[in-house]
Amino acid sequence: MKKFISLVMCLSLVLTLVACGQNQTSSASAEPAAESEAPQASGESFELALVTDLGTIDDKSFNQGAWEGLVKYAQQNGKTYKYYQPQEAGTNAYFETIELAIEGGAKLVVCPGYLFEEPVYLAQQSYPDIHFVLLDGEPHNADYSDYVTGTNTMPILYQEDQAGFLAGYAAVKDGNTKLGFMGGMAVPAVIRFGLGYVQGIDVAAKELGVDCEVVYNYTGQFAATPEAQSMAASWYNAGTQVVFGCGGAVGNSVMSAAEGKNQQEGSFVAKVIGVDVDQYSESDTVITSAMKMLANSVYDAISWYYDGTFKGGQTTVFNVQNDGVGAAMDHAKFDTFTKADYDEVYNRLKNGEWDLMNNTDNADPSTALTLSNTKVTYIQ
Amino acid sequence: MQLLYFLIQQTLLFMIPLLITALGGMFSERSGVVNIALEGIMVMGAFTSILFLNFTQGFMSGNLQLLIAIVIAMVTGIVFSLFHAIAAVNLKADQTISGTALNMFAPAFAIFIARIIQGVQQINFNNTFRIVEVPILSKIPVIGDMLFKNSYITTYIGFLILIIATIVLYKTKFGLRLRACGENPQAANAAGISVEKMQYAGVILSGALAGLGGLVFVVPTSTNFNATVSGYGFLAVAVLIFGQWKPKYILLAAFFFGFMKALSNSYASIPFLFELNIQSYIYKMVPYVATILVLIFTSKHSSAPKASGIPFDPMQR
Repeated sequence: MKKFISLVMCLSLVLTLVACGQNQTSSASAEPAAESEAPQASGESFELALVTDLGTIDDKSFNQGAWEGLVKYAQQNGKTYKYYQPQEAGTNAYFETIELAIEGGAKLVVCPGYLFEEPVYLAQQSYPDIHFVLLDGEPHNADYSDYVTGTNTMPILYQEDQAGFLAGYAAVKDGNTKLGFMGGMAVPAVIRFGLGYVQGIDVAAKELGVDCEVVYNYTGQFAATPEAQSMAASWYNAGTQVVFGCGGAVGNSVMSAAEGKNQQEGSFVAKVIGVDVDQYSESDTVITSAMKMLANSVYDAISWYYDGTFKGGQTTVFNVQNDGVGAAMDHAKFDTFTKADYDEVYNRLKNGEWDLMNNTDNADPSTALTLSNTKVTYIQ
Repeated sequence: MQLLYFLIQQTLLFMIPLLITALGGMFSERSGVVNIALEGIMVMGAFTSILFLNFTQGFMSGNLQLLIAIVIAMVTGIVFSLFHAIAAVNLKADQTISGTALNMFAPAFAIFIARIIQGVQQINFNNTFRIVEVPILSKIPVIGDMLFKNSYITTYIGFLILIIATIVLYKTKFGLRLRACGENPQAANAAGISVEKMQYAGVILSGALAGLGGLVFVVPTSTNFNATVSGYGFLAVAVLIFGQWKPKYILLAAFFFGFMKALSNSYASIPFLFELNIQSYIYKMVPYVATILVLIFTSKHSSAPKASGIPFDPMQR
């Protein structure tokens, strides 16, 4: 018996190894597809670099959006470019990866995500000749006591409240009155999305003369959990028509719940609003997305660097004024809300018709906002 | 009523993986081997079977695909649990340590292999397995709405496993011998039972069921597998203890845990509960507080298998 079992174990070990071997060869053939965008020659240096945030370059979110902008500029202007993926999360690992990019010849490093605030704070001092573009954050030290933006650093912030506003406005104008918001952690970017979303709902409700209800929750993490899925399912079950899944993989839980509800009902009753990038490809339930135009802003930042007009030392805000945020219309699944309607509200927002509240001190919109036609149910 | 049905349906999603995995743990502990590697085995089972779903989506779908995935999850669980069996039974190692080792190994392995194969650690799958309603059975009043609508085939497999496990444990020669090895392996040995063989059987059964539990956990609740089962393996251990190592109590414990989970997520949609204004943390805490209380009050007369966790030494009489 013993002999037989040890034989089985040996076999399973060997088979695992064989399987691994096969995987490696298959990945080797798949690799060029992923990396082919970057010039392959060894010993060459890469002028433009991107260090990825948590997740990979094809995360359909921050990394991918920023990378697309970088690739677009580099290909148009014949620059060399490459991305680097940190081995683990954390300031040290990110800082080391930035150093790796600089050793690889990078003159400008794009750092997508607020997790780079500290690494860039350190790197901008250690490498004054290198330029940094920091998306969605401002450099600061570990305990937030010191905010310094070096002249070689360009932090970019987005007015998420405007993107949320457009998405919420469009959803209500399209005939929905029961809506939901499921955020990740209550970090400033997520709070701004949420506040803008509720304000957009209220404005549209006022214009249509209807009353809207919003269920509102921060799940506390940027992960797809059964809990988030179950909560979203309970909202859809209670009649909620559209849920804004705002927080990385939280959106996947919302989409899963929406797919379940639609399949159960046999009609398109549960809809999802995506976030950051156009998430239409993730699920058929996504009707639009509240977007940050990551590619545009990275493209602009890099072109300013080469023009000699790099806006270092100060924070640049991207909003509707410079087409830095918006709602996705290319693959939108609205019934009645058209591109013309969208352009109209976009221009009104641009012209300053609404002064949006985007102070993130209070994350609860039911107390932070004064609303006329909207009732917000805030779930702790 | 509609709300109650919905709540039960949600409860089942949380409860079935806990039930299946805890029953697996029961077989292992009843044979005398502590298995805290349930978490790691769930991860491995979910990993290989979701990978299979990912590879075959497009030309396979529906419940046939799911059934094959179930077999794959169980086989993976068995193979993975054999490491634990060798350490615990042949090498007489500390069972907590080898279990911990497997728990740490599994997610790292899953991420590593997933990245080699597809470059991304999240493995996507299409959920084509939802059963909107079971013909005929869904027409039964009350029960039809609760159990036979908006469900998964795995729900019924879970209950089937419960019934089979109860029969095997209490009504068969094998079950009697398994329980004997967990209570007094020396006596069992003297009666001519191969303790090693029984313990291997216990661990293998736990591996198969925990591997299946991992798949059952991931499929209804997400659109991808990200090398984690969110601590449900450890929760299953709690269910096992709360259920006093007996199938019928394990069922109740799993239902209790599942129901509180479902309640903590959907209480906001239930008007009278929302007006009570109790924070969701309270609902989330209840099962754990209850587990501690049960342990306090039952520890004197705990029905834990007496030899569970002690490496078998035939010379010790």
